[in-house]
Formats: sequence, structure tokens, C-alpha cells
Amino acid sequence: MNLPHFLGVVSGVQGQGVQGHFATALIFVLVGIAFAALALGVAKLLRPSNPSAAKSTTYECGEVAHGSSWIRFNVRFYLVALFFIVFDVEMIFLLPWAVVFRQLFPVPGLGALVFWDMIIFLAILGLGLAYVWAKGDLDWVKKLAERSGPVATGITEEEEVPAP
Amino acid sequence: MSFITDHILSWVTFLPLAGSLLLWTVVRREGPARLLALGVALADFVLSLHLWFHFDPKTGVDQFVERVAWLADGRISYNLGMDGISLMLVMLTTLLGPIVILSTWRAVTERVPEFMGFLLLLQAAMLGTFFARDMLLFYVFWEAMLIPMYFIIGVWGGQRRLYAAVKFFIFTMVGSVFMLIGIIYMYYHAGSMDLRAFLALDLPRQAQLWLFGAFFLAFAIKVPLFPLHTWLPDAHVEAPTAGSVILAGVLLKMGTYGMLRFAMPLFPQGVATFAPLISTLAVIGIIYGALVALVQPDVKKLVAYSSVSHLGFAVLGLFSLTKLGVAGSLYQMLAHGLSTGALFLLVGVIYERRHTREISEFGGLAHGMPRYATIFLITTLASMGLPGMAGFVAEFMILFGTFGSTTLAHGRLLTVLASTGVVLGAIYMLWMYQRVFLGRRDNPRNEGLADLSGRELVVLLPLVVLMFWLGVRPGVVLDRVEASIDRVLAPLAIEGAAPAGLGAALTTPVLELPEGQGRFVFGNPEMR
Amino acid sequence: MELLHVKIPSWGDLQWWLPEAVLCCTFLLALLGDMLARGRRPVVAFAISVAGLLAAGALAIADTHAVAPAGGRAIMGDLMVVDGMAIFFRLLFVFGGLATVLFAWTSEEIMGHRRENKGEFFALTVLMTVAMMVMAEARNVLMLYLAMEGVGLTSYVMAGYMRTSLRSTEASLKYVIFGAVSSAIMLYGLSLLYGMTGSLQFSGIRAVLLGGGAEPFGILVAVVLILAGMSYKIAAVPFHFWCPDVYEGAPTPVAALFSVGPKAAGFALMIRFFYTTFAVGTNAAASNSLIQVINWPLLVSVISAVTMTFGNLVALRQTNVKRMLAYSSIAHVGYLLMGFVLLSEMGLAAILFYLLVYTLMNLGAFFFVVAVNNHLKSEQLEDYKGLGYRMPWAGVMMVVFLGSLTGVPPFAGFVGKLYLFTAVMDRQWFWLVIIAGLNSVISLYYYFRVARVMWLVRPDEGHDSPLRLSWLQYTVLACLAVPTLVLGLYFGAFKDLADAGIRTMAGG
Repeated sequence: MNLPHFLGVVSGVQGQGVQGHFATALIFVLVGIAFAALALGVAKLLRPSNPSAAKSTTYECGEVAHGSSWIRFNVRFYLVALFFIVFDVEMIFLLPWAVVFRQLFPVPGLGALVFWDMIIFLAILGLGLAYVWAKGDLDWVKKLAERSGPVATGITEEEEVPAP
Repeated sequence: MSFITDHILSWVTFLPLAGSLLLWTVVRREGPARLLALGVALADFVLSLHLWFHFDPKTGVDQFVERVAWLADGRISYNLGMDGISLMLVMLTTLLGPIVILSTWRAVTERVPEFMGFLLLLQAAMLGTFFARDMLLFYVFWEAMLIPMYFIIGVWGGQRRLYAAVKFFIFTMVGSVFMLIGIIYMYYHAGSMDLRAFLALDLPRQAQLWLFGAFFLAFAIKVPLFPLHTWLPDAHVEAPTAGSVILAGVLLKMGTYGMLRFAMPLFPQGVATFAPLISTLAVIGIIYGALVALVQPDVKKLVAYSSVSHLGFAVLGLFSLTKLGVAGSLYQMLAHGLSTGALFLLVGVIYERRHTREISEFGGLAHGMPRYATIFLITTLASMGLPGMAGFVAEFMILFGTFGSTTLAHGRLLTVLASTGVVLGAIYMLWMYQRVFLGRRDNPRNEGLADLSGRELVVLLPLVVLMFWLGVRPGVVLDRVEASIDRVLAPLAIEGAAPAGLGAALTTPVLELPEGQGRFVFGNPEMR
Repeated sequence: MELLHVKIPSWGDLQWWLPEAVLCCTFLLALLGDMLARGRRPVVAFAISVAGLLAAGALAIADTHAVAPAGGRAIMGDLMVVDGMAIFFRLLFVFGGLATVLFAWTSEEIMGHRRENKGEFFALTVLMTVAMMVMAEARNVLMLYLAMEGVGLTSYVMAGYMRTSLRSTEASLKYVIFGAVSSAIMLYGLSLLYGMTGSLQFSGIRAVLLGGGAEPFGILVAVVLILAGMSYKIAAVPFHFWCPDVYEGAPTPVAALFSVGPKAAGFALMIRFFYTTFAVGTNAAASNSLIQVINWPLLVSVISAVTMTFGNLVALRQTNVKRMLAYSSIAHVGYLLMGFVLLSEMGLAAILFYLLVYTLMNLGAFFFVVAVNNHLKSEQLEDYKGLGYRMPWAGVMMVVFLGSLTGVPPFAGFVGKLYLFTAVMDRQWFWLVIIAGLNSVISLYYYFRVARVMWLVRPDEGHDSPLRLSWLQYTVLACLAVPTLVLGLYFGAFKDLADAGIRTMAGG
């Protein structure tokens, strides 16, 4: 009904079962917070406080920082990252499937299901890959020939008025 | 013919609807559209004559009943019925239908099929409202009236039509929403949308007061009762003539009809509690309307404010809680429908010729337009309630009923005050008539105006005849409505304060009118 | 066969899931077709999508016997259930998806000559339809989350469809961020619930709750978080702020679909989740809800009242019709939440029925905006002057939609509101009905302001040429307008469908 009681249940002090598993995590969190707070708090008490503008700049190995750190990365890097994630996920699915496949395959009725499940999954993934390929999104330099107009500015066509 | 007569109420209601659908889809040319609309309206009138002649005046029970289960396992039904009260208002509606359509021959030249379609749609909705005996059905028809009227004002109206249309819509919608909530509340408790189930409900006093307030607000806005009347002058002035006639002739009666049919019998406790307040407001409305009418520079606005005054009488009669007053109120609805409808038509006639309605623009019109002046005079006299005309009977009965009311503590005071309204009515009407028609014809633009054409005479004469007829033969109406009024008011008589008031009216058994023609009797049939 | 506490699904279950399966294949086929057509002939994807949606609709209609066992038929290892409510929403979503696909085909915003990936749009609509259907069928927390993300991800892409338009991309980005936040909040609530009850099945959670095996305070936190997450999806105040921007920025056909599809799906999910998990008894009054720590009716009724009032008041001031419709859709969420206050079968059935009506009229109003935008390239109210005279038939239908949105009889919206009002017609909740009634009047003003500009104001000189619509546009608009009228007068069969849906849902 109340917060302390709730925390008690969650941390496993009271009650049993699933809630108890949270106890370790909770203790870790609490200890972690306490540790950081203690270190920072003690340092705050001991250190001299003498801030200046130079101290607030970004630390770049002792060099004077130039330019903003808020720069845009080329969108291609995101594409690469996305592809990586897609195949990563595929692998994450594939691996445990392969592990249990040997046990499940002989089971009547289940073997075919398990097998075709993965085939369908891979087929869908393959279709997606093919689609992206066909669209030219795998090319490192994408051709923009079909498009006309000042695409590079990102503002084209009649209705594109920037939001106020 | 039996397939018509068996479902006569549906035929009367939906014939105009069918006509309007034809007008929107098939008949798109101006001439045929006018003829079709007129034909449909006339046919509807003929059908309604069947109701008039086959109506049994001895009973107040609904007649020609049609009931078909509609929704929710029959808890909501398609339920039509008609008693004497509905009959009178239905006849008024179907009579005004062809008259209004004929009056637009010259006035409306733009988008004629659509205009005619809206007029017929409006007529269907109004008739349905008078026939409906199922609350959901009633509400559907009630709201369905709004949309055609909104467009009639908004598309074919005058300069400030947008403002007027929106104001009309919002005012009436505010009232309707509260009524809807009331209806849903009662449906929740009664388990059926049937009016009889609603009547059978025995609600606690507190609930009755709130529900009465919800229903009454909707009806009072429609009437309109002072101080909720502000939409009316705008709507009237901006509406085209046909719209004004329908608005004054029938639409305003929806309010008083609703009070009589629903608000009063359903919530006797609410009536008992609020009657003094409402009758006071009604009298304020009578005098206020008359005073404002007095100073109007615009003829149409003058007539609009006279409506506020006249309908104040109707509300006063209802809440005198005497049978005489209620019957007088119903009579006032008819008389006002005829005389004010005719007045708006007449104003429309002159507006078509001069494109102005300013009283100061006119003067001495009687010289060039004798027929117009004569009919205008008759209508003016009818409107102010000259003996021998319909308005007199109505106002007399209302004032008499209020005077004899025992439920209204200040009934006699109210009667005296309301009577000044009659006097003021004579003043503003005659003064207006004098400034427009009499004197010298100073303004050169008033010369050479055509007198009433044959078509315009055809439009106006039936109304004039009826003004006289209802003035000298009140029995025609009263005989048919008496039993129905008894029945509608029955729930009130059972409740606490009401019987005394009705009893007082019943002790006035015979009342002879000065003309001697109309002899109407209240009370037990044996006493005649 | 049990594995990891989840029943292993069998192929046999697919026969009860044919509409969804067909739509999944349709999506893949449409992509494949578009790929083979090299993206130059969107008609391939369009035709495949339409055929697939039609087939799914036919199957869904034919599939009504799937409900046979009381409480519906559990499929896919009890991850989903096909009951009356699922079938109701299947039909609704297939209809909405089909209407959107057909109308998008005529939309300049989607099919304009500079647009890319036209075929993709249709495929995505199909995918979104499947995901929404699964939202209405899920009875497992994970399935629920997956379906919701499925809808979410597709809608992020669709919102940003006009990718050279700043507004469209901005809408998409906003949607992504808000969607992610709301998903995270909801997921946190769901995980708390799982942590406390140890079950992912709604029924399992319910069983633990019934046994009193969970901490009330924990339930409170979980329920509030889940409700907040779902309120994002349906755009209830105070989680509504993404909605107008996204609707305005997204292409109009997409906004049309957003305003009905995901909202209806969100309501379906809320109904199933909160009713089957927390309500007690078949006709649960609030007091015997399992959520005893919260005054559930009060919480929901306040959200409802604030949502409808806010939506309507802000809509009053809009000059852009599309944005106005966005705020009006927020207001309608407020009305819909009325049916949720008492968690009673009557109220939930009223929600279903209103969603049906709302789908018809709101799609119609948005599609009219699409048709106008094709010609005028504008959604500003001032450009609608005299439109009624330039496109009379469409103009009349727009009046029907607006009247229905207002809730004026004889249109369907009136009936929908009637049922919602009746659902809370209890002494205690009377104030909510009155607020809703007043809101209807407010909404009257801005809906009929559109009708007024279209019909009561004459078109400007030089801008009064008639505007032509294609037969496809007329057909789709008529398919929406006619039922909007008919349902206002005869709604028995559809109300029965909604009632049956809730009954079979509640029975399980």
C-alpha cells in the first residue's frame, strides 16, 4: 500500500517469488549511487574551487579546441549501422534457434514448424535486403538522377515552407 | 387507397422529404423545380385534410397511430400518433407549406431547386416533430429542423446572414443538448423511449426540477421566451421571406408545443415550482417585446419583436395552469401563425418592390396600392387582436384563464400587466400602419409601385379568410382540442397544487363570445 | 506441448488468422512487385494491396464462426485471441486501410510526379493494418508491445513519406521521439506488472491479482505508467501534443489513417487489457475493480473531460482545416473515454460503436481535405470559400461528415454520442455528460464554420471554376457518407455487432 512496503516487497525483504530477484539489482543500484555520491561529496569538501573560462572548454588532448562538436555525420554511417543491426538481430535469432533445433527437429509436428519458421524469417529478411539493393540504397554513392530540382538543399517543391 | 390511409401520418411526413430528394437529384431546372415543390406541398395539404376530416374529436387519445419497433429490441420505436393538439399545428404547417412556396416565385431566383428542397425538408421535419411519440424520434426530427433552416437563412438571407444563421444554430443547439441529456436520463430510468413510458415514470422532486429545467430551456429558446429571445430578431431580419414565414408560423410553435406536450405533463413538480417564475417572464416578454417593437425603424424587425410579445401570451396561457388558458395558448399559436405569417409575406411583398424595409422610407402607400393596403390592414388588426379575429379569441381566453388561475398567486396582477401588452400591440401596429400607408406620398420612389398581383392574392387570401373564420367560429378548433388538452394535462391535475387551478377553470362552464357565433364549452359534456 | 511456459503454436491456428496472414503476404508481395517494377509503376503495389485488402475483408467476414467457443478462440499459443471484438476491429481496420489506399491513389501528396517510392506507401498501409489487427487481438503483454511497435514503426515512416518536405520530416521525427518515450513509459509499467505477477498473459496477471498476490502500490505505479503510455497512442490530454503537428505535417491521407486507425487500435488494446486484467465480474462497476488503489472512474472521467474540452477549445481557433481536424480528433478521444469510465460492458460497446462511426466520418472529412488539396494546394479555411458550389456533391458529403462529427441527428455521430452518454448516465457522472453536451455545442461552432465558408460564402471572382473529382474519389466518399447517414437512422445490426464483440470478449 505504501512506498516503503512496496520497496520491501520488490527488494525481497518481504514476500517471496519473482520479486525477490530484484533484491540484488536494487542493492547494486543503491551501493552504486552511494559510492559516487560519497566520492564526489568528499572531493567537494576537500578541493579548492576556482573556476575559469578555460577550464570549461572541451578537453581535446591539451590542444585548443576548434569548431563545434555538434557536427553532422554523413547519413551513410547510419545506414551502415542499421545494416549491422539488421544482420546482428538475424544472428541473435539464428543462434539460439540452431542450438535447440537438434532437439526439436525429431519431435513429430514440431520439427517442420521450427524449420519453416526460420526459413520464412530468413526469406522476409532476404526480401528486405533485395528491396533495399534494388532501390540503390546499398550503393555508397546513391544516384539521384531521377530526382530533379535543388535536392541538395533539402528544400524542394511547392509546399515546402519551413515551419515558423 | 388503404395503403395510404393506413400509414397516413408517415405519408404526410415523408412526402415532402421525397419531394426534396427529387429536387436535389433529378429535377434541377428552375421552372419544373418550382412546380414540383408546389405540387408536393399541395398534395401534402390534401393528405392532411384526410386527417382533419377523419379525426375523432371525442377522444384525446392519439389517433392514426403507427408503431414499429425500430432499435434496441423495440425500446426505441418508430412511433407516430396524432391528437387534437398535433392536428391543429399540423394543419397550420401543411397550409403554410404551399403558401410559402408560392410566395417565393419572384423572391428567390438563385439556386431554386435547392431552396425548394430545403423548404420541403424543413416541412417534413416539422411534421415529424408534431407526430413523434417516441422521444428519440422526436429529438431526431427536432434537430433535423436546424440544418435546413441554417442553410435557408445562411444562403438566401440578407446582409448579415452568416451571423444570424450561426447565432440561430448555436442558440437552439445549446437548448437541445440539455434536453438530449434529459431524454437520455429518462431513457435510462424508463427503459424505453416511448413517451408513455416517460409519462409513467414517477421521478423524485429533485430530478423533476432538473429535468424540467433541461427540457424547458430547449423549448424556451425556441419560443423564444424573454430573455432568451435575442436570436430571433436577427434570424427574422436576415432570413428570406419564406424562411421568416416558416420561422414565425411554425418553428416558434415548436417551443410552446414542446412545453405543452413534454415539459408540462412529464414534470408536474417542476411546473408547480417554476410556473410563477415562468409566467412572470412571459409577461415581461409581452411588454418588452411590445415596447421594443414600438421603436423599430424596420418593419420586419417590428413584426419580429411582436412575435416575442405574442408568444409571451402563449407561454402565459400555458403556465396559468388552467384549461382555459392552455386552450387559449393553443389558439394563440394558430392565430399568431396566421397573422404573423401573413405579415411577413406582406413585408416581403413590399421589399420585393422597394428593396428596403425602413418605415421612414414609406408613407401614403395606400394611394397606389389599395388591395395591398386593405389586406395589410386586416392582418394588422388580426395581429393586434381585434374582436372577430382569431387573435382576440386567443388573447381573451389566455387573459381570462390567467385571471382565474388559483395556482398563480399573482395571476390577477399578471393579467393586468399582460393586458397592457394588448394595448401596446394596438399602438405599435396602428402607428406602423399609419406611417407606412396613410398620409401623403412624399417619397417619389413610392410612386408607381404595382399593387398585389393575382399570385400574391392567392397567397394571402386563404390566410385572411382563416383569420376571420377562426375569429368567429372558435368551436371549430376548440371542439377538436378539448379532449386532447384534458388528456395532456391529466398528470398535472393529479399532482399537489394543480387541481385547484384546473378546478377553477372547470367552474366556468359556459362562455359566450360577443359575436354569439362561437360557443365553446368546457367541463363535463353533460353540462352543455 | 509447453516450452518456456508458452504453448507451442501449430499451423492449424493459421486458419483462424487467415485475414492477417493474407495481409502479411500482401505486404511482402507488394514490396516484391514494386521491386520488380523498379519503383516506376506504383500501380503494381497498389493493385496487390487492394486485392489483398479485399481478400482479407472477405475472409474476415466469412470468419465470424471463429468465435465459436465462448470467450473467443485462443490462437498462436494463446498469444492472441479471435473473438467478437477482434472480428469487429478486423473489419474496421480492413475497411479503413482499403479506403486509405484507394484515396491515397488519387492524392497529389502521395502520387505527385516528384514523389519517390510510391508503391512503398501502399505496402506500408497494409503492414500497418495487420499490426493494428494484432493490437486488437493480443492477450499477451509481449504480443501487445510488439503489435504496438509494429504500428508505431510503420506510422513513423508514413508520417515522413514526403521526405523532401521539411514539415513531413519534422512530423516524422516528432512522432518517433514521442512514440519512443511513450513506448518506454508503457514498457516500464508492463515490466513492473510482469515482475510482480510473473506472467505475461493477461489472464495470468489477472489470476495473480485476484489471489491478492501483488502489492497494491506497485499496481498503482504500473497502471499509471501503462495508462500514460496508451494515452500517448490515443492522444489523450495531457499526452496529446504530438498529435496536431504530426497530422499537419504528414500527408493528408496518412493523417486520415492516423486519426482513426491507431486510435481505434489503441482503444481496442486498452479495452482488452484493462477489462480482462482488472475488471471484476461481467458487468464490473468501478468499486469492484481490481485497481483499488486508484479511483479509476474519477481518473478516467477527468482525463476524458479535460481531453474533450481542450481539443474543442483549441480547435475553435484553428484556421487550417487539417489542424482543426487534428484537434477535433483529440476531442473525440475525450468523448470515447467516456465509455471507459465505468469499465462496464455497456460503455465498452458504446466505444466500439462510436469508433465505427468515427472511422466513417473522420476519414470522410480528411479525404475531402485531400480532394481539395489536390486542386488548391491549400488546407487553409479561407481558401475553402464557396467550395460547395465548385464541387457540390463532395460539398454535400462534407456537410454530412461535419454534421455527424458534431453529433447532430439524423447522422451517425449522434447515435454514437447517444450511447456514450447513456454509458455514464449515472448519478455520480452526470457532470461528465453535461460537459460532453456543452462540448458538442462548442464543436458545432467550428465544424459548421467550415460548412459556412463552403456554402454560405460566395467564391471569389476568378476562383469559381468547378473542381472535378475522379470517380474513384466520389466512390470512396460516397462509401463513407452513405453509411454515415444510414447508421444515424438504422444502426441496430452494427450495434449488435459491437455488443456481441464486447460480450464475447468479456466472456473469456
